[in-house]
Amino acid sequence: MSNPILLVAAREFRQIAATRSFWITLLIVPFALAIGPVASHLMQKSHTENLMLIDPSGQAAPAIQERIELEHERQTLQSLSRYSESHDLDHADPKAPWAQHDHYYSDFEVKTFAASGGVKHAQAEMRRVAAPDTPPFDEPDPDYKIVPTPPAIAASSPAQLARTLPGLINPPRKDRGAEPLNYAVYVPADFATGRSPVQIWSDGAVPGQLMGVLQDTLTRAMRLRFLEAQGVRPEMADAAQRIAPLITVNRPSPGKGHEQVIIRSILPLLVSYLLFMSLMLSGSWMLQGTVEERSNKLIETVLACISPDELMYGKLIGTVAVGLTMVAIWVFAAIGAAFATQGMIADVLRPALAPLAQPSVALAMIYYFLAGYVMVSMIFLTIGAMSDSFRDAQAYLGPVMLVIAMPFAIIAQAVIRDPMSLGVRIMSWIPIYTPFTMLSRLGAGVPLWEVIGCGITLGLFIAVEVVFLGRVFRASLLGSGSRPTLAQIGRLMRARGSA
Amino acid sequence: MTALLLDRVTKDFGEKRAVDDLSFAVRDGELFGFLGGNGAGKTTSLRMVLDIIRPTAGRIEILGRAPGRENSADLGFLPEERGLYRTMTALDTITYFGQLKGMTRNDARAQGRILLDRFGLGDSAGTKIEKLSKGMAQKVQLATAVVNSPKLLVLDEPFSGLDPVNQALLEDEMRRLSRQGSTIVFSTHVMQHAERLCHRLLLLADGRKAFEGTQDEARATLPARLTLVARETPAPLPGVASASRLGECDGWTEWDVRLDPGGDPGDLLQACTERGFALRRFEQGRASLHDVFIHIVGAEEGRA
Repeated sequence: MSNPILLVAAREFRQIAATRSFWITLLIVPFALAIGPVASHLMQKSHTENLMLIDPSGQAAPAIQERIELEHERQTLQSLSRYSESHDLDHADPKAPWAQHDHYYSDFEVKTFAASGGVKHAQAEMRRVAAPDTPPFDEPDPDYKIVPTPPAIAASSPAQLARTLPGLINPPRKDRGAEPLNYAVYVPADFATGRSPVQIWSDGAVPGQLMGVLQDTLTRAMRLRFLEAQGVRPEMADAAQRIAPLITVNRPSPGKGHEQVIIRSILPLLVSYLLFMSLMLSGSWMLQGTVEERSNKLIETVLACISPDELMYGKLIGTVAVGLTMVAIWVFAAIGAAFATQGMIADVLRPALAPLAQPSVALAMIYYFLAGYVMVSMIFLTIGAMSDSFRDAQAYLGPVMLVIAMPFAIIAQAVIRDPMSLGVRIMSWIPIYTPFTMLSRLGAGVPLWEVIGCGITLGLFIAVEVVFLGRVFRASLLGSGSRPTLAQIGRLMRARGSA
Repeated sequence: MTALLLDRVTKDFGEKRAVDDLSFAVRDGELFGFLGGNGAGKTTSLRMVLDIIRPTAGRIEILGRAPGRENSADLGFLPEERGLYRTMTALDTITYFGQLKGMTRNDARAQGRILLDRFGLGDSAGTKIEKLSKGMAQKVQLATAVVNSPKLLVLDEPFSGLDPVNQALLEDEMRRLSRQGSTIVFSTHVMQHAERLCHRLLLLADGRKAFEGTQDEARATLPARLTLVARETPAPLPGVASASRLGECDGWTEWDVRLDPGGDPGDLLQACTERGFALRRFEQGRASLHDVFIHIVGAEEGRA
């Protein structure tokens, strides 16, 4: 290998690869992927909250408990229905409620489902037709668990409860047991008369779902008494309580609609994030190298052998190679993790890789990734050539990073919300944001003319950038003394001849 | 054949003229001294020779070609301000620069080992530069300059920062390369090195050429100086510009005699003999390059 550009690139690569920080950064992603599932499992916390019912009459609590269990069954049935649709299992029992996806399950349907064996029975049915690699159904945790009411509290008056319960709901740290109490509900025996209020103790806002359950259950009981008091026969009054509208729900099947936008945007967003991460890291390493060459008075020796352009292109290629190596290793680690694990990662990865099935999208992603790398690396390289020390370089890097990095988070969020929004489309045409924006958008589908137009604009911008920043690079290599001001940098850009 | 030619070369940095209409030629195999004070334009001239910077006007020829990286296989360069990649080993550093100059990796490595052995660094081939002493690192830097056995070796203030042992090693290496046929151009403002090494030299003052020629020709620009021990004053003798009394001993007087510019001491001796001018000692003084430098450069800078 005698090409000076490749020699410089190889040396640059080796120098960066020999640093400890490179290896730490390189291994941190696979390490995170390796321990991620374990840590997630260990740290997994149940979302179930504990509820205490204080019911002196003994009539309201069973109804509330029954209603809470019914809501959990409804939620489970909805999840099961989604699971069946995702894995194409409806044909296991086309008449089963979980095979119906177009409506809100009524109380009757939920009760029938529970009575016919619930999740266990449904899973047994599904297993008959499921593909071997179909992940098992992950039953959702119940939202609320009714905890037993201590006899002392059950016998307390409302005034005593008002003194005791706040301490149980939010106990001092040392008194906190394994199972904290989240809510306590006191239903006075005469609540139906409307003279005594139902009271709730909570450490924060009471969820609408819990309020709905309490309101609905207690209101039914009050209505029932009212209707009976009005002379309506009990069975008629009860039937009146069951009257409910049939509600159909129209939404895209799993992986479609907005869900599809999110899933298909995962990979491009990830690539965009990887571009950003690896750019910042490899760029700063290259910058350190260039500053070292200047501060160690190496430049003159190098320039006696090769031209400034060869040095510049060699450094750019070396840095791009470092970045691509990092990204390649991270991607391989991620794919390895996806294959090594089952469930969510694999479930998400498969549809997330869908955009790559289109060669034009895959090519565009590679182009924007490489172009983004060259564009930002060139800025780092020029900053390095103008700086005698890393502190000097920081003075330039601060504002540059602010301009490049600040909109990054906004772009990612905006793309998830609407990849075709006006703001996102405008950002796509601003060359310094083009790579990040386009990479983020590509999964959700971008018109071809926009992909090509933004790509050409970016290419032209990089050509102009290389010419103008190349002049600054060449002129700054042998310079010394104070940092060039913005005006001086402008003059260097306009100066055609080097040195 | 001319190894290096500068023809009416001028270099301006903005308003400042660093090199002014400079012309000289270095012949093949010569050890050529490029002498001048600080800021005389030596480094700028050498950077133009290496195509690190371009002249504002004039023409440069290196080994019969225009300056450019295509010459790097035949060039060696040791800059005044030296530095190496701190995390590279000594041998890798030499190999890298050898490859940059067009050598194959194997050749550069083999030559690197030979040079390290010759410079007493054979055991440090695999040591990182940051672990080497300053003197050792300077030897490695010299090795990077000569790894390709250059036809033209350019050394910018090569002796600055070197201890006497390394100065001697560098002088030996320069003589060795010169004997092997390399042309060597080196800049310095320490005249003793130039006196020991140069076949020819050029004096630069304020970017302009003040003198070019051999050491003898340089010395000839100074009036000849003699020490005479005689009974009478030599002042009346033909060609004597001045005679100062230095001391007396046993009736004889010691005189410091300066001849007219261009005057030949042999003519004075002949005149003494013809006139029966009694002499007990006739000693011709040899002007140092230091004196020549002060005489020429001082006068040029005085005029500027």
